[in-house]
Amino acid sequence: MSMLDINGRQIEIDEDGFIVDPASWNEDIVSYFAKQEDVSELTENHWKVINYLRQYFQQFGIAPMIRKLCKDTGFTLKEIYELFPSGPAKGACKLAGLPKPTGCV
Amino acid sequence: MKPPMHVAKDSEVALIGYPRIPEQDQQAAFLKKLDDLRVSMRSLMVMLENCTKCGNCAKQCHSYLGTEDYNNFPAARAELMRRIYKRYFTWTGRTFGRFFGAEDFDADTISKWLTYFYQCNECRRCAKFCPFGIDTAEVTIAARHILSEIGIMPKFMQGIAVNMNKTGNNMGIPKPAIIDCAEFMEDEMREETGLAIKIPIDKPNSEVLYIPSSADFFTNIDTMIGAAKLFHYLGVNWTIPSTVLEAANFGLLFNVNVMREQNQRLKAAATALGAKLVIQGECGHGWRAAKMYTDGCSGPVSFELVHILDYCDKHLDKLPLKKLPLRATLHDPCNYARAGEIIEQPRRIMRACVEEFVEMTPNRDENYCCGGGSGILMDEMMEIRMKLGKKKAEQVKALGRIDYLAMPCSICKAQIPAVMKHYGVLDLPMGGVMDLVGKAMLLGDTK
Amino acid sequence: MLYFVGQVFPYIAAGVFLAGMAWRVWTWLRVPTPFPLTLSPASRTLTERAITFGKELALFRGLWAGDRGLWLAAWLMHVSLAMVIGGHIVGIATLGNEFTAIGLTSEHSQALSGVMATVSGLILLVALLVLLYRRTAIPEVKRLSDPADYFDLLLILSVVVSGMHMRLTSIEVDIAAIRTYMAGIMSFQPIPIPNEGIFISHFFLVNLLLIYFPFSKLVHLAGSIVNRAMLIAPPPVYPSATNMRSNSIQSNVQMWRGGNQQ
Repeated sequence: MSMLDINGRQIEIDEDGFIVDPASWNEDIVSYFAKQEDVSELTENHWKVINYLRQYFQQFGIAPMIRKLCKDTGFTLKEIYELFPSGPAKGACKLAGLPKPTGCV
Repeated sequence: MKPPMHVAKDSEVALIGYPRIPEQDQQAAFLKKLDDLRVSMRSLMVMLENCTKCGNCAKQCHSYLGTEDYNNFPAARAELMRRIYKRYFTWTGRTFGRFFGAEDFDADTISKWLTYFYQCNECRRCAKFCPFGIDTAEVTIAARHILSEIGIMPKFMQGIAVNMNKTGNNMGIPKPAIIDCAEFMEDEMREETGLAIKIPIDKPNSEVLYIPSSADFFTNIDTMIGAAKLFHYLGVNWTIPSTVLEAANFGLLFNVNVMREQNQRLKAAATALGAKLVIQGECGHGWRAAKMYTDGCSGPVSFELVHILDYCDKHLDKLPLKKLPLRATLHDPCNYARAGEIIEQPRRIMRACVEEFVEMTPNRDENYCCGGGSGILMDEMMEIRMKLGKKKAEQVKALGRIDYLAMPCSICKAQIPAVMKHYGVLDLPMGGVMDLVGKAMLLGDTK
Repeated sequence: MLYFVGQVFPYIAAGVFLAGMAWRVWTWLRVPTPFPLTLSPASRTLTERAITFGKELALFRGLWAGDRGLWLAAWLMHVSLAMVIGGHIVGIATLGNEFTAIGLTSEHSQALSGVMATVSGLILLVALLVLLYRRTAIPEVKRLSDPADYFDLLLILSVVVSGMHMRLTSIEVDIAAIRTYMAGIMSFQPIPIPNEGIFISHFFLVNLLLIYFPFSKLVHLAGSIVNRAMLIAPPPVYPSATNMRSNSIQSNVQMWRGGNQQ
């Protein structure tokens, strides 16, 4: 665990670089992680995915099924990888402040 | 020596009931645990005491062939434990030390164990070639158990244990999400077939309990859909328990007590429902744990226990299948082929679902592990994981053009796509065997 | 000194060998097998299990499949060793009449025995030397080996070399006297050992080997059987009516917490 200073706020992140407390998420974190994750520019499409993930997580306490994410946001899996090179689980979920999906993924 | 994975912290292991023993007490606790296992697990003693150092296992282990690290060759890996075992638990080792290969526990022992016993995929291939059948997986299981008992384990395992305790599945999917996922998959099936094919969660008075891998409710949904279509067509009265939405049993992969707990959860869920038949989904080690370890963990059970591929194979002739125009091959998950009696069933199913089925070489009980076995799926170990998958990539490349790679195990489904990409095998569709059944089955609008 | 070597030591050696082997096997069998370790595909019937046992333990299937060169050296070593030991037993029991039962004269019988002994002894010698060489030449095997691994081979080689010395050189060894001496040992009425240096060395080395045997990796004589038996255990059948767990002599120890009540 380490503390990151993002725009004056101390955010705790785990060894995989995901934020520890989902409640500590804010939009500054997204820009910070975007640079890490090779996302050159945060477009409307990025935010669509991020907001969808946050909303699903707040409702259900877990990341959504990948295919459901694609269907509800209207992007193919290939397009999601283009937006977030590390993919929906390791890339998009990180920017959205969700815990890293674990298990056989 | 720095282990190549994130190690769970003191607070993290305390959370799951395996507090870290303080460093000054570790040696004593470690040796006590080894002593405990020595007298309660016959395989350990026999396998540590009978190795004749012939080295036949070296050329057969994908871990050694891929990483080219001496300690990854099965007999050498076992030596990490054998040397200490001889020193403290055999009179010849105590008296004659180095002559018989005995070595003291030292400052490096624990980190060496953590490093190398988490580079064994517990695939049992070495046991096939050892003249006595020495099974390095047994030594690895014991080593990981000892380490976790003194509070030393990868963060990856700890995280999964937390989720298992909280929700009964590795991914930590809570019940409302389970229901939402099931509804989504039902919608997908309705869109495709026009039929209302159900995925019932916690349906009372069910005869059959299906235990999918939790990954089937996240990424590998085609496997779940294939199973749902199968049950629908056969008119099975089935359900999935929300308390055990997990075929996997990671306890088998790092701690025997955790394994018992998960297995007992399964028995409790099946007994509470009064299920006559429990069907395990596409999960390799979880199948081994259920099939081989249930009696030892949970005592006698009143239900029949089969694997989904067993079940599908038995009913194969009844199914309305139209062969898909694919040239497909099968990767045999280690725990099916060398520990689970699932060898011919997936082949028969695939031959019924695709136009051309080809075997990779070697295959069946001599197939190579994918490199992710025993839960070596940590992101931070990616470089090593790719080396562990080297033989698998070679096997697939040797087949030339193929249209589908079947790998009926969730760990394989997580590992193999990364391996294929790394070694330049691009655009190869991959998935489970039940996925093919789902795609080949003529139901409703797909007829 | 010769009294000890000839009339006491053999009994100590035999006793240590038998008690030692029994003790090792007992230490293994008293530990439970909490879970079946069936190596798939399982052998279903008793016949199939026997065949698997035979293929693995008598034909060294695993080595044949993995490394033909190693198989050749190891299998020939074990088979010729079995021939040599068997030949000693037959020879001591029926000296001069080894093959008269199948119609050979005593003279021809002894000649045939001689040829079989020389051939199996030579194969054994060469195989042991190949295994020793291999242990130094293959990097993984060399790094894996302990001093004991070399010592085992050298000890057995010394027995074989001293035995072959008697067989091949023109040293006159009084076989009849040796036979009488061995008969005395077997019937617990020991007589002084024949005063032939080469035989005394050979016999002494054999007894040393017997004492060393159960405490070294040579115990794999029994261990291979116990190990293989675990892997051909039948897989469980469900529903399971009774608790199938464990088949040890002492089964009140457990791998998990709350267990280990010894």
